[in-house]
Amino acid sequence: MSPSVLERMAGGDQSAVRECIEEFGPLVWSLSRRLSRTPADAEDATQEIFLDIWRSAHRFNGSLGSDKVFIATIARRRLIDRLRKTSAEPPMDSDEVLDTIVWSEPGNSTETAIEAEQAARALAQLRPEQRQVLELGLLHGFSQTEIAAKLGMPLGSVKSFMRRGLLKVREYMNRDAESVSARS
Amino acid sequence: MAEQEPPGIPDDALTDLLVKQVTEGLSPAEQRELDVLDGPLVSETSRALERAVAAVLLAASANPAPLPELLRARLQRQAADHFSAPATGSPAAGLPPVVTPDGGAATPPPSQTQRAAAAGAILPAPAPAPGPARTAGAAGWWAAAACLLLAMYAWFRTPTLSSLPPSPPVAEIPAPVPPAGPVQPIPVPTPAPTPVPTPAEERAALLAQAGAVKLNLGATKDPAAAGVTGDVVWDPAKQRGFIRFSGLKPNDPTRRQYQIWVFDGERDPRYPVDGGLFDVPEGQSEIVVPIRALLPVHVAKAFAVTVEKPGGVVVSARDHVIALAQAT
Repeated sequence: MSPSVLERMAGGDQSAVRECIEEFGPLVWSLSRRLSRTPADAEDATQEIFLDIWRSAHRFNGSLGSDKVFIATIARRRLIDRLRKTSAEPPMDSDEVLDTIVWSEPGNSTETAIEAEQAARALAQLRPEQRQVLELGLLHGFSQTEIAAKLGMPLGSVKSFMRRGLLKVREYMNRDAESVSARS
Repeated sequence: MAEQEPPGIPDDALTDLLVKQVTEGLSPAEQRELDVLDGPLVSETSRALERAVAAVLLAASANPAPLPELLRARLQRQAADHFSAPATGSPAAGLPPVVTPDGGAATPPPSQTQRAAAAGAILPAPAPAPGPARTAGAAGWWAAAACLLLAMYAWFRTPTLSSLPPSPPVAEIPAPVPPAGPVQPIPVPTPAPTPVPTPAEERAALLAQAGAVKLNLGATKDPAAAGVTGDVVWDPAKQRGFIRFSGLKPNDPTRRQYQIWVFDGERDPRYPVDGGLFDVPEGQSEIVVPIRALLPVHVAKAFAVTVEKPGGVVVSARDHVIALAQAT
């Protein structure tokens, strides 16, 4: 199997840098727009995230997950860090942006990382309020306390929904991994 | 009906801590609690939860918006700058590893969770925790920023901060000279090669243009700043500028380097824009260095120079701020 863009960058392949921007730029930009207060913030965040990616590329291990998960993890860390530092408020009105999310269709793994498909399948199994808690927390940067206040829900319920939702995603990811290893 | 949790995970309270760690960060008390419980199962669960979070993000980004052209161009320029910087040991880049924004130059020892992630996972070490720890760190930065402004205020009220002497002869970093071409057997009139302008010439040209501003640079009370004077020329439209120093001590680039910072009025003052690294060779009484801002500077409110480790830092601890210039 040919090395990924991240592995090539880590190996010093300069041509992989441009490919990295082309391949992951839209993903990083989309996440930045979602978790930034203004377009200017999103642009700055995108630049900072790419710096993080270039510095961390050597730590990518393709046997443990896809490059997109690696990128999304780095991006989210940076974006949440920026949000927490610069404001007590999440970026945008969540009621408006919740409708703008385009979820992966379960079963369509050609366009997205396999992990995205697994997560989409897991999310489809969640109750609406569980899913809403995950969306507010993961996609819009609200803290658990903020979600509880926003939804008028006990903090314990928010924690429980968040925990069970993520464990459900993990369960689907593990299940697929086990079935793959069983087949091989 | 109660939902069954998959086997092989810690109890609910511990899992809640791990979920909070990977979604919004932990307070110091929560982090201490987690450190006590740290173990292989905790590390594995932490990694799995972070992967799950990333997978949800990917699932919600089925149709990502295209990258704006201007931003793409800026990223490519940033990449060129980044990968052309001198290597400092990181296998991935010329710049140093990311320094925790609220941890300054010192990165706390990693927990087992973090060590495990660093050693074997696809994921880099978790982000620093927000909450009280971050608040404390932020308070430190605010204090540092306040001190910085106070220092700048004091500086610009001090007689020693008077303007530089009028344009003394400037010695600058020698510009690269193109190699001489082969000797032609028959002399053919050719246009003379365009000389590469020196930083001092570029500075003078920039200063002559409308829109460029000049700020006096003053030294702080840091011992390394003794006798330092200078000025900053900055063109907001071109996003270009130069700093001219006099009396700056030569540095050993293998031990420390000078780093420029630009305080943008539209950004958080705790996180000024990195303006690039430079060195002062032995025997240079004056030096002109370009400001290479990595991010766009909307309103340049102040410029600072710090002494940092080789390769510089992403966020300075501001232990050695040696020179400051403030816009009026």
